[in-house]
Amino acid sequence: MYKEIIFYSASFLILLFGILTIFFRNIFYSLISAICVFFLAGILFWLSGSEYNAVIQFAVYGFAVPVILGLGIMFTRKGKEEEEEKTASASNLKNILLFICGLFILAVVYLVLISLTIFPYGFNLEANLQNGINTYNNFRIFSKGLFIKYVFAFEIISIILTITAAGLTVLKKRRNV
Amino acid sequence: MEELISDNIYLILLLPLWIFLIIMLGRFFSVYVNKAIICGLSLFASLSGAISSLWLYGIFTPDKVYESTFPFIKINDFIISCGLHIDRIALIFVSTLFIISFLVQLFSISYMKNEKKEYRFYALLNLFNFALGSLFFSPNLFQTYVFWEIAGLVSYLLIGFDYLKHEKSLASKKVFLINRIGDTAFLAGIIMCSYIMYEYAPCKNLAELSFFDMNTISTLVSVYSSHFLFLIICGLFIIGVVVKSAQIPFYPWLQDAMEAKLPVSALLHSSTLVALGVYLIIRMTPFLTLSPSMLKLIVLIGLLTAFVCSLSASVQSHPKKALAYSTSAQFGLMFFAIGTLNIKAGLILFVAHALIKSMLFLTLPEENEKWDLTKFIIFVIGGLSLSGIILSGFCSKEIFACSLGLRGMTALAIISLLTAFYISRLTIVIMKTNGLEKKNDTKTEYLSIIGLLLLNILFCICLAKSESCKITMPFLTAVFGILIVFILHLKNLLVQMSHTFPSCYNGFYLDKLYMTTILDVYNKIAEISAKFDINILSNYKPAQVLARTGVKIASFVETYIMNGMVKCITVCAKKLSTIDLRIQTGNIQRYNLYAFIILTAIIVCLVIADLTIITGGGQ
Amino acid sequence: MAEITLYHYLVISLLLFIIGLVGSIMCKNIIKVLICIEFILAGVNINFAAFANYCGGAEGDGFVMILFYTGIGAVELAVAIYIFYFMYSKKQTDNVYQYGDL
Repeated sequence: MYKEIIFYSASFLILLFGILTIFFRNIFYSLISAICVFFLAGILFWLSGSEYNAVIQFAVYGFAVPVILGLGIMFTRKGKEEEEEKTASASNLKNILLFICGLFILAVVYLVLISLTIFPYGFNLEANLQNGINTYNNFRIFSKGLFIKYVFAFEIISIILTITAAGLTVLKKRRNV
Repeated sequence: MEELISDNIYLILLLPLWIFLIIMLGRFFSVYVNKAIICGLSLFASLSGAISSLWLYGIFTPDKVYESTFPFIKINDFIISCGLHIDRIALIFVSTLFIISFLVQLFSISYMKNEKKEYRFYALLNLFNFALGSLFFSPNLFQTYVFWEIAGLVSYLLIGFDYLKHEKSLASKKVFLINRIGDTAFLAGIIMCSYIMYEYAPCKNLAELSFFDMNTISTLVSVYSSHFLFLIICGLFIIGVVVKSAQIPFYPWLQDAMEAKLPVSALLHSSTLVALGVYLIIRMTPFLTLSPSMLKLIVLIGLLTAFVCSLSASVQSHPKKALAYSTSAQFGLMFFAIGTLNIKAGLILFVAHALIKSMLFLTLPEENEKWDLTKFIIFVIGGLSLSGIILSGFCSKEIFACSLGLRGMTALAIISLLTAFYISRLTIVIMKTNGLEKKNDTKTEYLSIIGLLLLNILFCICLAKSESCKITMPFLTAVFGILIVFILHLKNLLVQMSHTFPSCYNGFYLDKLYMTTILDVYNKIAEISAKFDINILSNYKPAQVLARTGVKIASFVETYIMNGMVKCITVCAKKLSTIDLRIQTGNIQRYNLYAFIILTAIIVCLVIADLTIITGGGQ
Repeated sequence: MAEITLYHYLVISLLLFIIGLVGSIMCKNIIKVLICIEFILAGVNINFAAFANYCGGAEGDGFVMILFYTGIGAVELAVAIYIFYFMYSKKQTDNVYQYGDL
């Protein structure tokens, strides 16, 4: 039953925040709703049964991508000083938003710890332990996929990413010179 | 080796055609072929043709025929085929054609050096080789007629080679028109025979008039048609033959054909083109043997032509015209031979005459130029040979004379006298007007002339070995004729003969008769129809109304339909271009959208296709 | 409530995809366009996850795919930001319509 509730609420929110991203005039607000969308997508991954993917989604899309985008926005803002005009309701709004973000982070940490079975799963531990721990199932899938079936793709992508990173730094250095 | 040549004999016909095409069509594709290549290829084609046909002549026995045809026109059950029909007679004609063609091309390398556009000359000579070769090797009368026409066309083009000079183009037109009379008569004969065969004969294959079945065809035609009709059919064929070989009612065209250049006269109008009549008569011999009156007619035409033309040749002052009359006369002798059904003598006379006459033509001097001594000697030798005193002329005349009775030999003797007379007179007249000199001319000219002389001697030796030649009456009369000329020369009476005998000089006024009557009649007809058109037809109301509505309809069609179609295309193109311009906005997002739409369409199509296959649509 | 089937997930991913597509076409600001492209990728990832869950069985190949796409998407975003940085230094604007001469 929990699964349905979480699914429907997550799906509704994901669509809502997606539409909001387009319609916000302020770029920062749209960035924040984008972060929400990515988090909810991670939760959908968790619901589909792959916690590993959810964690990666949170890490990459929930953290790294906003950092990049935020840096990009900040460096290219042309003196938009509206953020300084903040009313009390705006600061309240800011507080509420921060609280929700904190809840999200806590939820993430809780889910990560649970998936790593450091914290007991809680609900049916004895039954699961007797049936054989299959919380490592996801890891088994990933290890089989990455290192046995698709090791070639994995290696090539890692090479490509390395080259990209190296290339970007080189170009950056050349531009500066 | 025999199979190699028999299987590939058509190549000696196609090679000249190919050379003609690459020379004439090369100009459209801006490919100007090198002159050396043209000459070399033409010489090679003629030489290979000569060698192959002579080799085959040696191999073929007199009754062997090689035929390979394929159906060309097929209308229900009337089939005309085309291909090759090779027997000894055809090989004689073809070898003569190719040998003389080779030597004349050798001669014209240096003769035509200063002409503009001389590649046309070689192209036309090659086309001539192809046309006549295919004609001589034709299996039925229809193919003969087709190539007969092409030969007439080539003759027109070659006579009017310098078409910028007015009299030459007029002469070529006149020659072509007179040859048309013969062509029409020939065609009429063919159509009548073919129709009779198709309607009445038991086997429809006979309608194609192949030479294989000529005996059957002639007997069936004489059976199924009345006597008068059969005579008419034979008469039509004889008219065609007579026009082509320049015999008695139709010899003036050969005079106008002498407007052509020297190699053209040597090849076409002395040896090969006028021989088409002889070829056709030999092929149609079954027809003529069924009606003895036709044979008598041919003999009469031949002797009459020989007599009349020899007389006319005796008083000419221009050497080419004299030689033209001489050609007609000698062909008259050939017809005389064939009329007495001595076909072997006719063919021997033809080959000897071809070799001698081309030699005589090639050794003629130019206008207002001194006569080269070597050429003079060879001309004298050729002249003596033509009159029947030495070499192949002697052998051929004696072989023919041996088979004649007393009356025939008398006629032959008179004609030999006249021949010797005009040829020696001609020699002396040219010697007087031009003058002798020893020159060092171009070697290729000498090469060709000496080649002809050697062939002459070779032919004489062949004849002397196979037949018996005794000295009979014609020989004596010929010597007598030369003596007369000598005496007249001493008395300086030779040159004025053209003024003392005006009727002989003008060819017994036959040419003038044709020109005046036919031209008058034609002008009268043109006048009457012009009057009719101007006075009556122009004032006829319905004709005027018809003309006006016709003009209106034509203008409507032109402005709305023709121009409308073109306008439609241009307007559509413009509209499409404006629509296309609007797509190119420079907006990346718009391009993204287009890409997405197209990708979606492709994927949807693929999915639907897969679904239809999966659900059993594609078994 | 009814059970959550495969089709629920597919509808969600489709809607997220469409949102991302429309946003990438409509928006004036280039940062928004980049975000919407990431939405597209996210929708596709959810699609893969749903299929891996409901049709995958023992092998979770779909989940491995998601890993690759996430990585690629992040790098693509970084490169796009890099290019945007230089365009900005030339054009001094973040309006997509001014970037037409790329």
